[in-house]
Amino acid sequence: MNTSLLSSTEPTTPSGRQSKPAGRSDARAGTAVRDALTIAGVWVLLIAVTTLVRPDFLSSQTLLAVTFTASISGILAVAQSLVVISGGLLDLSLPVSLILSAWTTVMVLSAGGPTFAAVGVGIITGAAWGALNGLIVVFGKLNPIIVTLATGFGGLALMLLLFQSAQIPAGSELRQFGLGRFLGLPNIFWPMIVVVLLAGLALAYTRWGRRLIAVGGNAQAAKARGISLRKARLGTFIGAGAVAGLAGVMFTAVNPSFTPNAGAGFQLIVIAAVILAGVSLSGGKGNLLVLLLSVGFLATIPTSIAFFGLAPAWAMVFQGALLIFAVGIDGFRLKRSAR
Amino acid sequence: MTATTAQLFSDTPLSARARLLESLKGPIGSIGVTLAATIIIGLVWTGPGFLSPSNIQIVGVSVAIPLIVAVMASFALLAGVVDLSIGSMVGFGAVIFNQLVSAGLDPWLVAGITIIVGAVVGLVNAVVIVHFGAEPLAVTLGMLTLLRGLCQVIVVNAPPTTLVEPLYDLTQGAVLGFPTLLLIGIGLTFIAAGFVSKTRGGRKVQAVGGDPRAAARAGISVSRVRIAALVASGVGAAVGGILYVGQLGSASNVLGTGLEFQIYAALMIGGYSITRGGVGNPLGGLFGLLVVAGITNILNINFFDPDYLDLIVAAILIAAVLVDRLRGGDSFE
Repeated sequence: MNTSLLSSTEPTTPSGRQSKPAGRSDARAGTAVRDALTIAGVWVLLIAVTTLVRPDFLSSQTLLAVTFTASISGILAVAQSLVVISGGLLDLSLPVSLILSAWTTVMVLSAGGPTFAAVGVGIITGAAWGALNGLIVVFGKLNPIIVTLATGFGGLALMLLLFQSAQIPAGSELRQFGLGRFLGLPNIFWPMIVVVLLAGLALAYTRWGRRLIAVGGNAQAAKARGISLRKARLGTFIGAGAVAGLAGVMFTAVNPSFTPNAGAGFQLIVIAAVILAGVSLSGGKGNLLVLLLSVGFLATIPTSIAFFGLAPAWAMVFQGALLIFAVGIDGFRLKRSAR
Repeated sequence: MTATTAQLFSDTPLSARARLLESLKGPIGSIGVTLAATIIIGLVWTGPGFLSPSNIQIVGVSVAIPLIVAVMASFALLAGVVDLSIGSMVGFGAVIFNQLVSAGLDPWLVAGITIIVGAVVGLVNAVVIVHFGAEPLAVTLGMLTLLRGLCQVIVVNAPPTTLVEPLYDLTQGAVLGFPTLLLIGIGLTFIAAGFVSKTRGGRKVQAVGGDPRAAARAGISVSRVRIAALVASGVGAAVGGILYVGQLGSASNVLGTGLEFQIYAALMIGGYSITRGGVGNPLGGLFGLLVVAGITNILNINFFDPDYLDLIVAAILIAAVLVDRLRGGDSFE
């Protein structure tokens, strides 16, 4: 087992649904470091090129913009990583978790509820949405991608029926928190860092995390060892949902008003960040510190593009191309290690 | 000799009733039941007008272009790869066609260019998926975003309007009271169904989707089949985009958003799977699209918020996948 604090590794067990060749485990310790160095290198390159074209890119304004973008994407990326590491493939309904939680938070605040209650309700909403997905997956024995594709579109439709747009009360503490800064960075950046650290620690040191990784690495082997797949899957979806719920709470803090569609833009950047970070779609493997790097890199792209004087839509083009590139590399690695 | 007799034996015709029951258990049977239920609900809720020629015309027009896109995309599903980028490709194809035609180029030339772009997009998907062994869903999700981004880069303000006479006639015309485009779509469905079930090529696609390793051992080139299927999917979406310009007279930068969900939901309701290949028939896809279009129509007639559609489709989709699983489809643990 890897001893590094935040990395999670799959137990190498022969045969089973997603058995992996034994040779891969030796190279594993180096993979996370190589991933981290590669992403950091590309990130520095992006910053260097942008600075060459526009020297004013290196400013506190840019830092604010990037950390701002990275905050919510980062928390959501942790939620997505949990699902992917557990072998749950992908949760395509995360944008719904995000906005639904944001909406319930706003509802509690608008009704005059205390801040802690609003935050709690937001997190519980996310967990409940995760539980819904998890229950369908576990009891229907259905593929999570199909289930969350359906609940993602269904959930968006549901939200459009529930509300057209939501506004957080301007004077609320949560809104004030969203406007504030701490150590020169936006307030919402810090909860993201805390979530990454806590999730990383939970994966490495708690029973929940150990089981999640074991199930993702080799479901049949985990089952044979007496881990309940149902409980592990449900636990993953509920946990990931709660994290997405927290992202929703942070989202309300920085978006004074939003529509049900507002979550759609996060879908790709989150999946791209997860895959770019080397969290393999086949499960059981992922490092949340590398994830932090890839979120930071992806969050820099929109700001870079603005400095290049390109239309914001170019960010979608580049992020899409990056995702294609990243999954290509992920697939290539798996293919090569399978030889 | 014994093999032949055994084969003869298993082919003994069943009684009509037994055969009907047998086919009801199959994918086409359950989707047929769903379609019948939709029609009955439509008749009960909205009266006999539901099956009036004018209403059938309305449903037919709305289903024609998605049907053409769906039939082409179904080859990819059958070959075991899913192409999520079709919705954006429809939009991107429409945007290119609309912009270039309004810039004064010859519509036929532009149509050719658009189709080539669709093929290239399919090829890029295919190369990354087949040669690098990347997860199809993630690759085509990237392509979906990339193409939608390009649509928004190209069309910033109100898009120009174009009128291409022959295309307008094609998309708005009717033969014997049936929309021309619907007839073309149904014709294409039958050709595709014949290809899949009756030809060597079709069986190859099924074999590749069902068990790629076994197909490879049998001497079928898995990568070639999958590349062809993904190119077909891209071309189908490009054609869909061109036809939408004919129908709408313009192309905004959000055209086709979410179309992939409705198409894949319809295909999965019709017996396809986005996670495993080798199953499904274009006719099932046609029924699935008719179910979705029928529900849309019922909601429209009864002045329901169209948002209920996605909610109902999502529920039917999960039910359909569950039924498929109970019928022996793959289960996830």
